[in-house]
Amino acid sequence: MSKRLSVIAVLAGHTLRDAIRNKVLYVLLMFALLMIGMGMLLATLSYVERDRILQDVALSSIRLFGAAIAIFIGVGLVHREIDRRTIFTILSKPVSRADFLVGKYLGLVATLWLMLAAMSIGFVGVSLVADAPIGPSTFAALGAVGLELAVLVAIATLFSCFATPFLAGCYSLGFYLIGHITRDLRAIGEASDSEMMRTATAWLHRILPDLESFNWTIEAVHQLPISTSEFAWAAVMGVAWCVAFLTVASLVFERRDLR
Amino acid sequence: MRQWGTGAALLLAACCVIGLSHGKLSPLPRTAADESYLPDPAMAKLTSFGFDALLADFYWLQAVQLLGGPEGARGKSHRIGALVDLVTRLNPRVDHPYRFAALWMTDDLAAVHKANVLIQRGIEAHPDDWRNHFHLAFNYFFFLGENQRAAEVLATAVVLPRAPVYLGRLAARLRSDRGGLSAASAFLATLLQGAEDPQAREAYEQALQQVETERLARVLDRARQTFRERHARDIVSIDELVTVSPSVLERLPPDPFGSGWDLNKEGVIVSSGIGYRYVPQIDATNRQRIRQTTEGRTSGG
Repeated sequence: MSKRLSVIAVLAGHTLRDAIRNKVLYVLLMFALLMIGMGMLLATLSYVERDRILQDVALSSIRLFGAAIAIFIGVGLVHREIDRRTIFTILSKPVSRADFLVGKYLGLVATLWLMLAAMSIGFVGVSLVADAPIGPSTFAALGAVGLELAVLVAIATLFSCFATPFLAGCYSLGFYLIGHITRDLRAIGEASDSEMMRTATAWLHRILPDLESFNWTIEAVHQLPISTSEFAWAAVMGVAWCVAFLTVASLVFERRDLR
Repeated sequence: MRQWGTGAALLLAACCVIGLSHGKLSPLPRTAADESYLPDPAMAKLTSFGFDALLADFYWLQAVQLLGGPEGARGKSHRIGALVDLVTRLNPRVDHPYRFAALWMTDDLAAVHKANVLIQRGIEAHPDDWRNHFHLAFNYFFFLGENQRAAEVLATAVVLPRAPVYLGRLAARLRSDRGGLSAASAFLATLLQGAEDPQAREAYEQALQQVETERLARVLDRARQTFRERHARDIVSIDELVTVSPSVLERLPPDPFGSGWDLNKEGVIVSSGIGYRYVPQIDATNRQRIRQTTEGRTSGG
């Protein structure tokens, strides 16, 4: 068991080192930081609640660019290794395909969290300069973004196991978008007269990842309290979704012909 | 070398075409061509894909920009209403937009009613904020002439945190139906104190000035009545209140607008600075409409 864990750790470390050498990530990070700074400029267009606008723009930029980075690095996970033929060297050693996938996944999550930390420093810095409020809700919201991105990388990892990077990107983006509207769809369904519609939207909400559970932008910006149990349950759900996607990804990857 | 020349010529030609196209195309954003279009709030929320707070800011900035023109908010109540409705449905936790609606949606009766619906939603979102109650009470009193309802709303605000102590007195005054100019003054002074933008300050200062003008015009009305009783005739000009012996006034009160007092075509004493007498409701047409609606309801059973 400890040998498996050390293999996974080595793979994760290698993936992290490999990913942080990717210049595209730094371009995306630079754009994200630029957008966070742009929030200050946009806020001046309003004569009131400038703090709110600044933090809305900044947090949304973090979520948007975080998702872009997650999809970008996630979809090429398997394809890149096959392309460089490194996967054959790794799998010829006593490393299972599942361990390979988990190790790569954890490395990507670590990369993403590093990027998120850089963006969060930018966010806190801009907020401090503008004298906008920073509190526990802010950090809870940023933590929740980290969880959301971990789920998104798991989704991208699953698709990268059987699709080309472009298609995997499209599927992951689709999941990301629908993951943010399942709550609203359910609410619309509940208002419908049709029983079938109500059941369908309720099931859709259950079987797809509800990414709105990780969206606490409004709570963070207005410094509303986020209960510990709510955060804990969101974290539990996030981890469960990651496990679910990685399990399916491993099963798919086991059967994949890599030649 | 020839390749470089062709490349440079192509680049130059492309730049010229781009410049020409810029000259032919409108620099305005396409949305300006169809200002009336705003998405349904539920659809906007659905298609924001979790970025509803950001979308709310986008529409909020549009609402703020509406005041930027030379005509201010005049004639834009319904557009402001639609924008604030969108903003507050996308992000119900916003604070100022609710009061923004109450402040600028005053073009007609329908706009004031819609503003009241929005500010009531603001009260639901921020039940502890006395300012939303105050704005709602002001709308009932100032625009709709519903003093009792205004008093009820103020009475609920009295106990809220940071509510000024005089709210209770104001509510009592409205309840006893002694609203009038002093209540209008008190309302406006409070709104002026809390006004967050220069345009709102200007609007409140003007309204306060008009209330003060009306108070002084009423003093002159009473002096005119005394003049009639003493001299068995009406005044020909305002100055007669001071110059004809025995005079009813030692001197004329200063006109807050600084332009002096006058008799208008109907023979009513007015400040020549504004030319009409102040009425603490929207306008006569709306009051007529209120009367008709009330009469319609009464006769309808």
